[in-house]
Parts: sequence; structure tokens; C-alpha cells
Amino acid sequence: MKNNTKKIIIGAVILIVLIALFAVIWNKFSAKPTKGAKNITVEVVDNEGATTDYTLDTDAEYLRQAMDELGDQGFSYEGTESEYGIMIEYVNELRADYTADGAYWAIYVNGEYGQYGVDTQPVTDGDTYTFKYELAQ
Amino acid sequence: MKKSTSFSIRDIAQIGLMVAVIEVSKAALSFLPNIELTSFWLIIFTLFFGWKIIAVVPVFILIEGTIYGMNLWWIMYLYIWPLLVLIAWLFRKNDSAFFWAIVSGVFGLCFGALCSIPYIVIGWSSGTFMSGLRAGFVWWVAGIPWDFVHCGGNFTLMLILYKPITLAMRKINSSNIMI
Repeated sequence: MKNNTKKIIIGAVILIVLIALFAVIWNKFSAKPTKGAKNITVEVVDNEGATTDYTLDTDAEYLRQAMDELGDQGFSYEGTESEYGIMIEYVNELRADYTADGAYWAIYVNGEYGQYGVDTQPVTDGDTYTFKYELAQ
Repeated sequence: MKKSTSFSIRDIAQIGLMVAVIEVSKAALSFLPNIELTSFWLIIFTLFFGWKIIAVVPVFILIEGTIYGMNLWWIMYLYIWPLLVLIAWLFRKNDSAFFWAIVSGVFGLCFGALCSIPYIVIGWSSGTFMSGLRAGFVWWVAGIPWDFVHCGGNFTLMLILYKPITLAMRKINSSNIMI
């Protein structure tokens, strides 16, 4: 009984320490939105590898807001809303149908594979955001 | 609990039932992001069904792969769920709801970190070890808020369900219906 209580206390301490540690790491290292004017480039690479570039001066904090503003330049997107944010299916009216052939719209930030959806991807001055039509391997 | 080293028809039926319970619970809670009962059931089944869990985990992983496709997440499943079962087996003598809630909570909290391992390997294979480590770290950090949700969900579900379910399991055990 005493041994069990000891294990519970040790476990509870480990859990609390891990929660605190993870919170500090997330606070220090996660990408955060910045306020103010930014100049960004949005790039679309379609299923044939053709690239279309858009440049935008924006105050948007997250990529989706910037994408909405790009509608004036002919950029368009559609997708399915979920708890995790929008799952993009169409960019410039080209559909990536994962269920049909494993196609999806990958997001790259400055050439590196993005870690966030468009709803949570912070916009940073000078960055290039690429939507690339890809097939799952 | 009856000890056996080979599969009888009853064993196979039990394994099938265990997988079915996990799959149905998973489907029922699929509308809640990162809230799941898979961890709960794998711990409980390890405590009550012993070695039979060795068959449950691969069957569950294979069914998941068949339903949703064997992509990168499936590779993660290959080591994450066996790891949980191993942890549950190591601490199998504990019978405290609070203890298992902590174990399940820690597992949920570390789920993202464990899932980042393939990203480290992929990053390493296409660059240096450090670039792989960076890729895995960035991927893990982006998902930490969801790990908190996973931790809270696992902790709460175990705390609420452990007593009634273990009571039911013991009743079944004493009446020799299933075990």
C-alpha cells in the first residue's frame, strides 16, 4: 500500500514536470504570428509542375487570411473544415483528391515542408509559402 | 485467470472481441480530436487478459492500416501501441485508478514526441542527423497543444472508467464467462 502511494506520487510528479516542460518548450519554440505589415510570396505548383507566383503586402497574421486577400489576384482555394482547420482540396480550381489517387496539396514554407495548416501557419515578412500538388508515396 | 500457451477457439473469439471493442470505441470518439479510448482498452486488456494482448495489438494495427491506409502514421503505430502494452505489463500489479490515469496521461502527453521519430529518420536520410533532429523537433513542437488534449483526455477517461470497468471484468472473471 505504502509502495503504491509512493509510485503514485512519483508518477504525479513526473506528469506535472513533463506538462511544465512541454509548455515551456512550446512557448519558446512554436511559430507565433507577428503584427504589422509584411510582404510575402505565395507560390502554386500544379499537377504538371507549372508555377504561378503571387506577391502580397498584408497585415495578415495567419496564412489563411493572406490567402483570402489573394482572391483579388485570381488565387482561389476550397476545402473541408475540421477541428484541425481547413483541409485544402482545391487550389486555383485544381482538385487534389486523396481518395482517388493519393493526391494532396502540400504546404512548404521557404522550401521546407510546413508543420501547420493554413489556419495556424503564422505569416512572416519575406516568407514564401508554396502550395504544391503532390502524390502520396 | 486460466494460463495457456496456445490459441484456443475461445482465445481467438476473445481477441476478436477486444479488437472490436477498441475499433468501435475509436470510431465512436473520432469526432473529438485526440480523445481516444484505445489507450484505456489496451491497458485494461493487458491487465486482465495477459498474454493474449500480444495478438490483439498486431490485429488492431493491421485493421487500422487496412481501413485508413498504411501511411507514415501506421509506422508510428507499429511501436507506439506495443510500447504502451509493455508499460502496462511492467506495472500490472498496480490496482489504483489514479496510478493508471497518470500512466495513460503521460503516454498521451508523449504521443507526439514518440510520433516524431519517423520524421527524425526521414530528415536524417535526406540530410544530416541534426537536420533530421530539427525536422522531428519542429514537427513535435507544432503539435504540443494537441498532446495536452490527449493527456487530459487519457487521464480523465482512465480515472472515470477504471473502477467500473475493472469491477465488470472481475465479475466476468469470477463467473468464468470469458476469461
